[in-house]
Amino acid sequence: MTGEALLEVQGLSKFFDGVKALDDFSSVVNRHEIVGLIGPNGAGKTTLFNILTGFLAPDSGQVFFKGTSLVGCPPHGIASLGVSRTFQDLRLIHRLSVLDNLLLSFRDQAGESLGGLFFRWPQCRHQENENTSLALSLLESVGLKEKDGEPTGDLSYGQQKLLSLLCGLASGAELLLLDEPVAGIAPVMIAQLLSVIRGLPNKGRTVMLIEHNIEAVMAICHRVIFMDAGIKVSEGDPVTVRNDPRVIAAYLD
Amino acid sequence: MIFSQLVINAIIAGSFYALVAIGFSLIYKTARFFHFAHGSVYTVAAYLCYLCFSLWHLPLLIAFAAAIVGCIVLGVLCELLIYRPLRGRGAGSLELAIASLGIFIILQNTLSLLFGEETKTLFSVEVKEGMMLFGAKITSTQIAIIASALFVLFCGFILLKHTRIGIQLRAVANDPTLAVISGIDRNTVVMMSFALGSGLVAIPSLLLFTEIDVTPTIGLNIFMMSVVVMIIGGIDSIPGVYLGAMFLSFVQTFGTYFSSSKWQEAIAFCLLLLFLLFRPQGFLGRKAGKITL
Amino acid sequence: MAAKQGKSPFELLGLMEYLLHILILIGIYVILSVSLNLLAGYTGLLSIAHAAFYGVGAYVAALLALRLHSPFLINIFCAVILSGLLGLLVGLPSLRIRDDYFVIATFAFQVITFSVLNNWVSFTGGPMGLPGIPPVSFGGLVLSPKWVFFLLVLLFAVLVLLISWRLVASPFGRVLKAIREDEVFAASLGKDVSYYKVLVFVVGAGIAGIAGVLYAHYISFIDPTSFTVMESIFIISIVIIGGAGNLWGSVIGAVVMVALPELLRFVGLPNVVAANLRQILYGALLVAFMMARPQGLLGEYSFGKGGGR
Repeated sequence: MTGEALLEVQGLSKFFDGVKALDDFSSVVNRHEIVGLIGPNGAGKTTLFNILTGFLAPDSGQVFFKGTSLVGCPPHGIASLGVSRTFQDLRLIHRLSVLDNLLLSFRDQAGESLGGLFFRWPQCRHQENENTSLALSLLESVGLKEKDGEPTGDLSYGQQKLLSLLCGLASGAELLLLDEPVAGIAPVMIAQLLSVIRGLPNKGRTVMLIEHNIEAVMAICHRVIFMDAGIKVSEGDPVTVRNDPRVIAAYLD
Repeated sequence: MIFSQLVINAIIAGSFYALVAIGFSLIYKTARFFHFAHGSVYTVAAYLCYLCFSLWHLPLLIAFAAAIVGCIVLGVLCELLIYRPLRGRGAGSLELAIASLGIFIILQNTLSLLFGEETKTLFSVEVKEGMMLFGAKITSTQIAIIASALFVLFCGFILLKHTRIGIQLRAVANDPTLAVISGIDRNTVVMMSFALGSGLVAIPSLLLFTEIDVTPTIGLNIFMMSVVVMIIGGIDSIPGVYLGAMFLSFVQTFGTYFSSSKWQEAIAFCLLLLFLLFRPQGFLGRKAGKITL
Repeated sequence: MAAKQGKSPFELLGLMEYLLHILILIGIYVILSVSLNLLAGYTGLLSIAHAAFYGVGAYVAALLALRLHSPFLINIFCAVILSGLLGLLVGLPSLRIRDDYFVIATFAFQVITFSVLNNWVSFTGGPMGLPGIPPVSFGGLVLSPKWVFFLLVLLFAVLVLLISWRLVASPFGRVLKAIREDEVFAASLGKDVSYYKVLVFVVGAGIAGIAGVLYAHYISFIDPTSFTVMESIFIISIVIIGGAGNLWGSVIGAVVMVALPELLRFVGLPNVVAANLRQILYGALLVAFMMARPQGLLGEYSFGKGGGR
């Protein structure tokens, strides 16, 4: 189910105090794929995400998203281009309501600029109303609609993870980078989250996710990349990678 | 000779800054926030001395001792009554700094209320001529300031490297979590550093009071000079305090010689901004952390 | 605030004039505290430099009125531009310096500004200040009765509140709060955090400049001692006690902090004592609120950890 290349990573390397977090990592993510990134702790997976989203600068290498180079771009710039991410430690604004967190995620809001606020107020109101209906329907699709006015800090951990996934959707990003989307939540919620992720390619999105939960990865990924100590060890469809002797050896170490 | 006078003046001022800053530096190492009220502890030292010596006519040494003890008590009270409970409820360095501003305002105005806002003098004698040293004039008090600064530096090294409390202090300063795991009681160490730091800041206050009048409002700027010194020298470094103090005083002394003494403060704060922007770890500090994910 | 020496304003004016005087001061402090709240309460950028913006606004208006006799609206416009520029200068370091270190940096800006106002004698009059600032006039109409000036202050206060309301109860305000709570998350959603931080500084500083203009024309004599660190701390106290992150909190805070201490005057204490007690009172309130209710009377933010990691 592959389309053309959406994200191209070429020869990315990153050192931290002499430790190689990423070593000449290259890969391609194609449109409408769900790619799983697996590997032991410290393999460099989150480092890769941080570089892809502009929070960290690589020591060498290139990243292209739809042909545009991402290296040197600030995080907000990369997000505007259509790359969104979730965080391993689940960043959301706890003090704001569930609905507000979603509304925050929409791109190109006229009401976020001074000019829009004071000179194009009707447009802002209209856009805010539209975004609100969109956000509410997103919440409804996962059964969170009644919680829309609650402070996000009041949601359960699993619900918050679901919300952060919805924020990625609301942003309209073509590429979603999900950092451990189902870690630490109950099986029922895992199933719900996985079904949402599975449906993303049909909505025109592409996903790359980091996970330790191998079953989840097997269930929804079209392709899997295995990393260890900053190096790409194996790549291919889930079954092949799982049975790769190098992967088995790395897990046994 | 003008040049040697300027150099001597700079050394005196630098020693004074170092004496004031070292007390705050000890507190900051463990408490990790800007204890603005430290400025009023400085002022309280002079006023306690005034109370004992000029109003109650006690011997000067008793007055000095009372002032030092009073400052120690005041510093420890701030920690026990306000900062510790705040830390207990999870307050961060910004909230502690804001509370400290409140304490500073209370203390400064209490001094105004009790003693009035006019200047207070310790010795009503004529201005001393001072003696000549390397072609520059210097008074006995000023020599005492330079000597005290060196003495405190020496004692500071001994304390931090060779006494139990000093080692515990450094442990808490370097890594509070690890220190707690090793069995050190962080709260006790913080309290000790407040006691030490507050007592220390009384020394320059009393020395200066023998020559220069005080008013209730002198504390804040003195405190800010400690902050400038610490940031220039390096937040975590005791030798950095002396380096920062000398650097600040030399730049100020020569800077005001070529312009005017009224720009003294502005020079200090411009230096502060430059260091905060371009070298936040100061001359001798460790590299500060950035946003991590 | 008002002069501490000699007779109290109440003794000098009648009851009605005294009440108007208090209301005018409340109006000016509402403008100051709302503008600082935008910075500190909504965006999480605490600054001790607010009196510097206030002072620049006052001095620009005073100098223009005294030297060039320019119209009031031109004076306000220029004052806002120049305070805003200073706001830009102070806001830029916030991009590199965090939290309490940034507060120290704003302290530096405050002192440097005061130093310039106090020492550049040929331009600003130095410690002697600028006396004889003419009252506000539109065309030939002079706004000299107190109650008319009060209406002017009220007009500006309401305007500032409306503008601030539009700013905070909107997607723009949502971004500010997001920056306050977690700027990494905000950046990952495509918000240009640096732009917003500097912008809110420019806006907050410009609005504080307006308060300066009103103050200069009201008191008709300004000197640097009205624009010191202590004044900045006073404005911070209003924001914190009233409530960071809530506009009504700034209004209530201004009323409480300006009007309540005035009651001290009627207890029969000598003027200087009352002045010190008033300061002890607000210092104690600041400590008490930080300990027991850091979000203030009506606020939602308490400058705690957890934001902007």
